[in-house]
Amino acid sequence: MFNVFLKTLRDKRYFILGWSLGLLFLGFMMTSFYPSFSGGQIDQLLDSLPPAFQGLVGNVQDWRELPGYLGSQLFDIRLPIFISILSILLAIGLTVGEEDKGQLRTLIALPVSRRKIAFGKWLAIVVICLVASLATVVGVEIGIAVIQKTLDQSVIVRLGLFTWLLVTALATIIYAIGLSTGKRAITTGVAIIVAIGSFLLSTFGQAVDWLADYEKFSFFYYFPAVNIAKDIVDWGNILFYAVIIVLGLLATLIFFPRRDVK
Amino acid sequence: MEIKNLSKTYGGFTAVRNASFSVKNGEVVGFVGLNGAGKSTTINMLLGFQKPSQGEVYLFNKKVTLPRAHKSHKRIGFATGDMSLFDGMTGAQYLRFVARSYGSSTKTENFKSLVERFDPQLNKKLSTLSRGIKQKIALIAAFMTQPDLIILDEPSSGLDPLMQQHFLELVREASQRGATVFMSSHYLNEVIDVCSRVLLIKNGELVKDIPAAELEAQAGKLVRVVTKRKVTAPKGAELVDTQAVTGGYALQFIYKDKSLRLQE
Repeated sequence: MFNVFLKTLRDKRYFILGWSLGLLFLGFMMTSFYPSFSGGQIDQLLDSLPPAFQGLVGNVQDWRELPGYLGSQLFDIRLPIFISILSILLAIGLTVGEEDKGQLRTLIALPVSRRKIAFGKWLAIVVICLVASLATVVGVEIGIAVIQKTLDQSVIVRLGLFTWLLVTALATIIYAIGLSTGKRAITTGVAIIVAIGSFLLSTFGQAVDWLADYEKFSFFYYFPAVNIAKDIVDWGNILFYAVIIVLGLLATLIFFPRRDVK
Repeated sequence: MEIKNLSKTYGGFTAVRNASFSVKNGEVVGFVGLNGAGKSTTINMLLGFQKPSQGEVYLFNKKVTLPRAHKSHKRIGFATGDMSLFDGMTGAQYLRFVARSYGSSTKTENFKSLVERFDPQLNKKLSTLSRGIKQKIALIAAFMTQPDLIILDEPSSGLDPLMQQHFLELVREASQRGATVFMSSHYLNEVIDVCSRVLLIKNGELVKDIPAAELEAQAGKLVRVVTKRKVTAPKGAELVDTQAVTGGYALQFIYKDKSLRLQE
């Protein structure tokens, strides 16, 4: 299992490096924009915008303080989009991607149980998601140093940990579908529906009345970044993602050892 | 190795139909058929990659099931002609990874002798290597742990003639140390060369289980001879074609005897 875990990390080293640098840059840039967004003139401009547009940019009142700004502008809107793409690429690559190339077959020909293979790869996903979340946090920290502001470290730790939980949960669902079915069309389809559907529900749910009732179906609904930044942590949200991760992993460990591999 | 009434159906297509055979310890058995005959599907079920639609597979007297197939893999070496190796690794890293999975090392004498024989480019990334070189690395991986059972699926299809000879030597040596070898191929000559027994599969059905020597006697060989003077085919040969070519005559015939004598 440890062999498979290390192999997966090695295989994904450029993916990890690329995404880490990208997310670090995103965290840094978004934080460095903060002084421009915290002035009074931009408040007036945004107050005059229609409600549907405000749903896309977040609540303007949150921008006045750095934690609220980071919560609403980085962790609540932009980061979920990027980490959804990361989750989809990572989980599809490790499951149906490797199976289509015949590499999964080469792996299961070895004297290693399918459960151990599945667990080793999943563990690598958890580590990659952690590195990606840490990179974002480091980017934010560099940005804070550059704009010479101060931020309670617990804010960034909470947001970083929740991001890790979110991205791991999303990647685990896609991983479970990919490894349990081996079907690229199903895996990609479900991944895109979950990611795009969640994004649409979360961004337009506040502005479009009839969507509000369905907001709970969004995967990002359980990641209220602004509240997390303000130290309002709902343990139910943590439980939601934890249950998704456990169920996804269990499904993988049950179904993958019992199905045909191409 | 024992297979009982094995069938595999994909949707409405039957890839393998009611196949039964067994392979004794130490035997070298060839599994011959055209592309799409069902060779790879049978091997996939043997190794527990795919579940039979019907029937059973036994390896080392234990029934093969998908979740437990890995237990027998410890005693099996496996390679295919188009084996997909891990592109991000070098050949050396791949072989170390395989060895660690078997709980062994690449520092053994056997490993060194295999590397000397095949001379693969172990320090280059697998993604940059040709199919033939990757094939050599896959064969080293299959033989390096000196497994009790070696399962090969069209193993020499990417090898040049010299490497093909090295490979056949390897099979003979494995057989001499008591290993069982089960190899699929569509090259009858290669199979007859090293196997003691041949299974023929056609359209998913096992049509023949025959000693290799007997098959060789039955099969005959297609011979094309170009001579300056006109000659006739040897006695007992089945004439296929004769024609005038630049500088002489070309004669094609099928013959079964080992010795060949042409008459003017």
